[in-house]
Amino acid sequence: MSTFYSETILDHYAHPRNWGRLPSPDIVADNDDPSCGDQVHLEIALGPDGRVAQVAFEGEGCMISMASASLFTEHLQGKRIADLEGLTEEEVLGWLDAPIPPNRRRCALSPLIALRAGLAAYRRAAGG
Amino acid sequence: MDTARIRADFPALSCTVHSHPLVFLDSAASSQKPLPVLEAMERVYREYYANVHRGIYAFSEEATLAYENARDRVASFINARGREEIVFTRNTTEAINLVAYTWGRANIRPGDRILLTEMEHHSNIVPWQLLAQEKGAQLVYLPITDDGFLRMDLLDSLLDGQVKLVAVTMMSNVLGTINPVREIVQKAHGAGAVVLVDAAQAVPHMPVDVQDPDCDFLAFSGHKMCGPTGIGVLYGKEALLEAMPPFLGGGDMIRKVEWESATWNRLPWKFEAGTPAFVEGIGLGAAVDYLSGIGMEAIAAHERGLTAYAMERLSVLPGLSVIGPPAHQRGGVVAFTFRGIHPHDIAHMLDMEGIAVRAGHHCAQPLHRRLGLTATVRASFYLYNTAEEVDRLAQTLERVGETLGR
Repeated sequence: MSTFYSETILDHYAHPRNWGRLPSPDIVADNDDPSCGDQVHLEIALGPDGRVAQVAFEGEGCMISMASASLFTEHLQGKRIADLEGLTEEEVLGWLDAPIPPNRRRCALSPLIALRAGLAAYRRAAGG
Repeated sequence: MDTARIRADFPALSCTVHSHPLVFLDSAASSQKPLPVLEAMERVYREYYANVHRGIYAFSEEATLAYENARDRVASFINARGREEIVFTRNTTEAINLVAYTWGRANIRPGDRILLTEMEHHSNIVPWQLLAQEKGAQLVYLPITDDGFLRMDLLDSLLDGQVKLVAVTMMSNVLGTINPVREIVQKAHGAGAVVLVDAAQAVPHMPVDVQDPDCDFLAFSGHKMCGPTGIGVLYGKEALLEAMPPFLGGGDMIRKVEWESATWNRLPWKFEAGTPAFVEGIGLGAAVDYLSGIGMEAIAAHERGLTAYAMERLSVLPGLSVIGPPAHQRGGVVAFTFRGIHPHDIAHMLDMEGIAVRAGHHCAQPLHRRLGLTATVRASFYLYNTAEEVDRLAQTLERVGETLGR
């Protein structure tokens, strides 16, 4: 049957990358959506140069939210905090390689919502 | 019942979605609209539109007459004793809130209990939570069985004299369970409690008579029964409505206004402040005529047949489990889970094939938690659905399972 889901989505859903937890993450980020049960837990460890060295995720949810979170973990590698803070919705949607209809954007952006909450907490903890 | 003829009355049903003929299986959320309803409303706007209850001129008199005439037809549709008992609201939610804010505030005291059931829609939970928080009252829930029936064996012990109100759905929007409202009303009245019935899923789909069961309040929405959005109904017994303080203040609901105080209009207008949604009310009148013309018994029988067929077709799909009672004990909604695929993904794939279903918690999060689920897919049926549409749902689901199942 014709599926709107891209090969990228199907692949990342079936084989999530960087699944699990990190020993000592610097940034921990969560987003729960009670309306559909999507849950994303994201962990980021920074290297000595301040760039993202390791990313891991766990979660439960629809294909789009899980594929998006898996893609996230790959695309965040090597980025600086400022890059993470500047990440846009359109960039994240672009990684999915498929047109995401308006009523599914919330699924696709779930890891970004988590990241933004995690970054805010990180800033607060760092006193800035 | 001639389904082909009925379908011809609903312009939306001949639409194409993603290059497929539309299969609309989400009428429990909101139904499609037949031509007589669309035409009745357009006629008001084109031929006699003017504000009701005020103007001393022909347009206003005609609009007022049509609006109040629609109220009378709604009253007889549910066998109310008269127009005094029919308050127009925006929808079921507003009707329930009206009772919570007026009857509830005047009658619920600290320590009182409000008895709900585990299968209620959020609209029959949250208004009572707000009231209970304000008054220091307590909410109690009549549990359900794992197969989606009310635990009627526990009702007597829960009706302990502290319960002042029982608010119960006539038919669950998720499980499809049709509840024994007559028995609940009898027992609640025996225990001195007032009963509100959420009939949002019942009035559109089966004959409903407010005098049997003898409920005190009953709420439903126009948009689920072929009528427009923005119009709903609160039925209330005249003596109860008469004793209740008003809901919203403003024009139309008053008799006399002084600088410091006001007196209230007669029923039902006491509860209808401001310019009402009278065009929508007239549309609802047309919807009631349309449904009555076909016959509520015939509609209920048609849906029973479709539901039984859908349960039979879906239950043979490996990994599909339907929640709720067997076909002969439910109305026209079938909610299910399928092979661990997230309901949003299923609904999305079905949509790509032109099939509209609902996915999520259907405004019943506590019920889903009780069942150990976060979300389900729900197909719901109405007078215009056909066995061929059920076939398309089953066939497409089978292919969704092959593509996405794990």
